[in-house]
Amino acid sequence: MHDYFLFIGLPYVALFSLIAGTVYRFNSKKFSISSLSSQFLEKEKLLWGSVPWHIGIITILGGHIVAFTMPSFLQALVSNVKILYTFEALGLTFALFAFCGLIILFVRRLRNARIQAVTSNMDLVILSLLTIQILLGILIASLYRWGASWSTHTLAPYIQSIFSFRPDITYITNMPFVVKAHIAVAWLIILLIPFSRLIHVFALPLEYLFRLPQIVVWNSRRQEESVITAQIESESRRFFLKAAFGITSGLILFITGIADKIIPFFRGPELSKGEKGELLKQKLQKMKATIKQKELETERLTKDFIYISDLKNLKTDEGIYFIDYQMKPALAFKGDNGLPILYSAKCTHLGCTVTNKVKEGALLCPCHVSHFNIKTGDVIDGPAPKPLPKVKHILMDANNHIVVNIDKSKLDEYKVYIVKGENT
Amino acid sequence: MNIRAHVSVVFHLDKCIGCHTCSVACKNIWTDREGSEYMWWNNVETKPGTGFPTQWEDQENYKGGWVLENDELKLKCQKSKLQGLLNLFYNPNMPGLEDYYEPWTYKYEDLFNAGPSDDQPTAVPISKITGEQINIESGPNWDDDLGGSNLYAKNDPNLENLSQEEKDLMLEIENIAMMYLPRICNHCANPSCVAACPSGAIYKRGEDGIVLINQDKCKGWRACISACPYKKIYYNWKTGKSEKCILCYPRLETGQPPACFHACVGRIRYLGVLLYDADRMPEAMKVADHSLVESQRSIFLDPHDPKIIEAAKANGISDEFIDAAQNSPVYKYVVEWKLALPLHIEYRTSPMLFYVPPLLPVMGKMDNGIYEHAKEAFFTSIEKARFSTKYLAGLLSAGNEEIITSVLKKLLAVRYFKRSEQLHDIDKGAVEAIMREANLTEKEAEEIYQMTSMPTVYERFVLPPLQREEAIETKLDPEVCKGCTGCGELNTPKRGL
Repeated sequence: MHDYFLFIGLPYVALFSLIAGTVYRFNSKKFSISSLSSQFLEKEKLLWGSVPWHIGIITILGGHIVAFTMPSFLQALVSNVKILYTFEALGLTFALFAFCGLIILFVRRLRNARIQAVTSNMDLVILSLLTIQILLGILIASLYRWGASWSTHTLAPYIQSIFSFRPDITYITNMPFVVKAHIAVAWLIILLIPFSRLIHVFALPLEYLFRLPQIVVWNSRRQEESVITAQIESESRRFFLKAAFGITSGLILFITGIADKIIPFFRGPELSKGEKGELLKQKLQKMKATIKQKELETERLTKDFIYISDLKNLKTDEGIYFIDYQMKPALAFKGDNGLPILYSAKCTHLGCTVTNKVKEGALLCPCHVSHFNIKTGDVIDGPAPKPLPKVKHILMDANNHIVVNIDKSKLDEYKVYIVKGENT
Repeated sequence: MNIRAHVSVVFHLDKCIGCHTCSVACKNIWTDREGSEYMWWNNVETKPGTGFPTQWEDQENYKGGWVLENDELKLKCQKSKLQGLLNLFYNPNMPGLEDYYEPWTYKYEDLFNAGPSDDQPTAVPISKITGEQINIESGPNWDDDLGGSNLYAKNDPNLENLSQEEKDLMLEIENIAMMYLPRICNHCANPSCVAACPSGAIYKRGEDGIVLINQDKCKGWRACISACPYKKIYYNWKTGKSEKCILCYPRLETGQPPACFHACVGRIRYLGVLLYDADRMPEAMKVADHSLVESQRSIFLDPHDPKIIEAAKANGISDEFIDAAQNSPVYKYVVEWKLALPLHIEYRTSPMLFYVPPLLPVMGKMDNGIYEHAKEAFFTSIEKARFSTKYLAGLLSAGNEEIITSVLKKLLAVRYFKRSEQLHDIDKGAVEAIMREANLTEKEAEEIYQMTSMPTVYERFVLPPLQREEAIETKLDPEVCKGCTGCGELNTPKRGL
């Protein structure tokens, strides 16, 4: 029964006392929090007491915390026998170190009259408890060796069960008396922290490492504000040049960056030899095409008649494409009567080129499906508004004379020419 | 420019008679509590002497103040902040009770309770700490007036820089001279105690520059005690907190000068506002020792300059404060006349308490065993003074003798000027030459004379309006600021468990 009290009841009372008591003292009893140093009254023994005590106890507590928070890690470590030995030896050494310091401090407190003047009953209680606790610890370390190993699966789970609010004392019910006493005294010390000088543990001024050297506090909030404002203004003035310089150089960098992208964009990408050759070829072809077109244009400018085809080569169902005087595509067919029919191949709707195949007596514009009568050029259906214009043409005989009277027997000798002028 | 007002003070050492009235006034108001019996927020030392605590000027022992390392100011007591934290367990540079004295009282009841006996009953001294009978080995002002003693004067750390000959001369029985050095907290502009406090409990008040310890925040880590080179922070062994001179801010806030100022019999103390450029601190303290005084002077601003006034107003300094700065006797002594010098500015904390060096000890001289005034001139020349300028320079100008000489020349010139004006027994031409050499005009000499000899209380203490009612805006709940400034404690201080 008393196990339940010592290892479940006491821990929760202690933890509650620790948290509530510390919060209360830090909020409402600030003046009472102090290291309560007695170095001023006696320094020599303090040096040999306080320093070893603090170094020893901080190391030992650190070891305990590692064991209770990371038991599996510690277990893995100490499974190596050499590490286990090292840990045990170090632990015992620091414990003895702390113990020596504590004894010096205890004796100093009991024997020095000046220190007696600043000793409270609580100081004596705490000193006694700490002495007992360290002694118990040392006893455990020497009687029940390899604690670094066995504690990981007995004490650590117990501590963790307390902190996870599922207290389980089965881990420790069968522990030897010394171990149980060590645990109980630990909870007792934790319970007393907020009501003793041990509170100074929580006053450790770590923020000192990060703060500025000087501290200024203003009585008047108004003046503080105006100082801060003025400070900011003068700062901004002081940093104006710096800022201007920064912005300018930033801009320069930015512009350089953009230029770096834009200039190559306009200059075009850097090409390989093959690509260059390809490009040159394409240019050449384009130039050739242009030359061809120019030749055609000059031809149309200078000549009154342009040869299209021999009449015999024309077909009734498939036209021959050619370029008319307006430099637009046109089609040449043979009519049923053996005479040529020439249409502009430019659809009157939106200017697409009409196909040259005659289907069911009609020409098709593939863009918007307009059909034109092959005989007349009229629109059969589709969006085209007008019939296909006819291209003016003449026939010439073998001697290059314009045929005036068509001789039906000599049709095969005739050649088809288009004539300068508008299409009808 | 970040202009701040600083309530700063001047002590005119020529006028100090060493009566300790200031110390007693302070003790009765502030340090008659248990745990603070040994503290003397204000004390008067005899120089040459070891001072209080003993040999406080020996910074190789106490490691107070700043040191200049690679153009950076570093606390002498710690190489790094981490070392500062490690010193929490044991501070190797902290003075102990034996460096001050064990406070005691007498067992007066023995006088009344003694039975019939052949001897007179005596009241034995008992310690105020332990209550046990003690042997009194030291006490307040223990070396008072012992200017030539082998035990005290000889161990003055300031004598270290003097040659053996000069030391012998100062300690020779017919030559012995001494001066009084009243000391309070310097309320430094670059305080090393603030920088060393691990808890951040010490702070400088923005409005007036008074350095205070928040008693609620102080955790008794004792770093400030070794960090303060003047040893003007004391550890209250009972409450486990540090305490220091508060420049009687509760008195200042009700329009009264601090108690030690008010009580001063010789009227040596002056209090007024200095405007200074907070942006130039601590840079101004990063110069070589011999130019520290000039460098510190250069951060003080002319309160008559319209530009400065405008900038001060922008920083929220009120018209009344600027008014106080314009009439400040401190500004006149420190900046206009350049007569007042900071104590041990080589500690680089920029103390805001200034001393006018004493001229009196230079007057007498020995000639064939006969003490008399100088023959060649009406007053002894400074060069032949008993009190060497080197010693004074070690105290007040970081070793720069030129500064001390020019101040002493000025003070001497004022005397010549007034003597000749009132008694007509010195040749006028000679006086004019002396005035020229001292770089002093007649108008200035008259002003210095007026301010030194017959100032009214309102000329000595030009208090700025520091009333709490002004500080706390009406729109704020008065409870809001309770305890956040001042010493922080509202309840009766009681030692924690």
